[in-house]
Amino acid sequence: MNKRINEEIIRTENLSKNYGRIKAVDGISLNVNKGEIYGFLGLNGAGKTTTIRMLLGMIRPSSGASYLMGEKVHSGSHNLWNNVGYLVEIPYSYPELSVRENLEITRRLRFIHDANAVDTVMEQLKISHYQDRAAKNLSMGNAQRLGLAKALIHNPKILILDEPSNGLDPAGIVEIRELLMDLAHNQGVTIFISSHILGEISKIATRIGIIHEGKLIQEMDSKELHQYRNRSLLVDLKNKKDALELLEKRGFNPTLTEDGLIEMTLEKALFHPEDVNFNLVQAGLSPSMLKVEEEELESYFLRIIGKGAF
Amino acid sequence: MNGLYASVWAETLKIRKSKMFILTLIAFSGIAITMGLMVFVSRYPELVGNSAMVGAKASMFKDDWTSYFGLLIMMILTLGTIGFGTITGWVFGREYSDRVVGDLLALPVHRFTIVLSKFIAIIVWCFLLSVILFLFGVATGLAVNIAHWSVDSAYHYFIIFMVTSIFTMLLSTPTALVASYARGYIAPIAFTIGTLIVTQILFVGIPNTTQYFPWAIPSLYSGVSGAGGGTPDMISYIILFSTILLGFIGTVAWWRFADQK
Repeated sequence: MNKRINEEIIRTENLSKNYGRIKAVDGISLNVNKGEIYGFLGLNGAGKTTTIRMLLGMIRPSSGASYLMGEKVHSGSHNLWNNVGYLVEIPYSYPELSVRENLEITRRLRFIHDANAVDTVMEQLKISHYQDRAAKNLSMGNAQRLGLAKALIHNPKILILDEPSNGLDPAGIVEIRELLMDLAHNQGVTIFISSHILGEISKIATRIGIIHEGKLIQEMDSKELHQYRNRSLLVDLKNKKDALELLEKRGFNPTLTEDGLIEMTLEKALFHPEDVNFNLVQAGLSPSMLKVEEEELESYFLRIIGKGAF
Repeated sequence: MNGLYASVWAETLKIRKSKMFILTLIAFSGIAITMGLMVFVSRYPELVGNSAMVGAKASMFKDDWTSYFGLLIMMILTLGTIGFGTITGWVFGREYSDRVVGDLLALPVHRFTIVLSKFIAIIVWCFLLSVILFLFGVATGLAVNIAHWSVDSAYHYFIIFMVTSIFTMLLSTPTALVASYARGYIAPIAFTIGTLIVTQILFVGIPNTTQYFPWAIPSLYSGVSGAGGGTPDMISYIILFSTILLGFIGTVAWWRFADQK
């Protein structure tokens, strides 16, 4: 039991924030253990950034509380931030200062005595080439890398990142994903990462929480994700009319999709596509295609949000 | 390396690298030089030929060091109020308008220290500008050979000039609160201009209230406001320093307790 408590790095208890009558965040309770990557998924305006700002003590909760490494977060808990790196929304930097100067400010304000820390993190994020460039002249991707460099410069135990893939090109997204996975799996860094793209989050997160209209509507291990997604068996062949009749008789409950494919969602079809194939071949209706298709992540996400509960 | 040192270092780097810093240096030194040259023109009006406007303005400048020092003090009261207010609005407001304030809110450095270091940087910057205005003014005055120079008189007016300047720069604390509350630097500039306008209205309309309006007190102290303005008393100074203190406490409290969206 104690071991479990010690491992708990991020915890929120019934965390809520109201702006007048609007409930921006409504009673969110979650916890993230050491070395986990928690994907916090939601549409724009779902309450992700407000939750992250409360985790960072930038916004006072209307009720509830958040804890980092067991310590309650509030606007005066400055010692806590030695262990936390963060990136909130679009990472802006002082526009007229160079990349190096922006990082130098962060280094000093974080009391990092190692003067090489700036060079190390620039190398890590591959922005050394731009070190003398003013932040206002950086591309969006490099501005994002600079933001991540500021979050990582002090080798924090906790990383709280709001949409860190924004503005990165596909290669950059993969690179940052690998960096974050390395930090979590090999260095035990606990990462709380928000996004509105389930496909991206599912590649990195060990656990996923879905927030909608301020409420945490679903939490799952990323391994469980495929269990929740709708699956269907799709069949293509020439004589669809006869095939539909046959499969109906055999109790597979087939339907025709908009694309003109035969679709079955019953478990007996999903788990035994060979039975479907056998029945069709026996009747002289050989399929030209037969595949089990898993629901797209984005359509799953939208379905969950549309239902409001799982 | 303590938090205050690190934070002051960061603030001075931001200031040094900004166009605002150079622009204020040019503005304050340029205006000081212009003051001296206007005295020179008033002595030789034929230099501006048919330019009636310059001639009329120049006639307001007397070829006398006492008047000239009065002009420099007048400048620190007006240009100083606008300049110091703008600087304060920029130092605090740019964190919001450049959307970098988030970088200062979850650091091992206490937010009080962040605010304090900003005020320290503002005071140093404004102090530098005041000294530049005075030194460039005096140097130009000496260059154009204004009448009745005396070191004693220069020292006397330097003290009044600097105390007036310090009062003016300290009165920027409420401007910092406005910049933080409004999350930008337009509102604090408008606030500064507003205080200047109200001060002028009070001096013209109800001069006996000026002793109790914080932004009029530096002018009353300096003695350049004319006979109608009265003299600041103990209550005036209590009001002045209470305003400064409330502005400071309000700004610290805003950074410490307000939601930073």
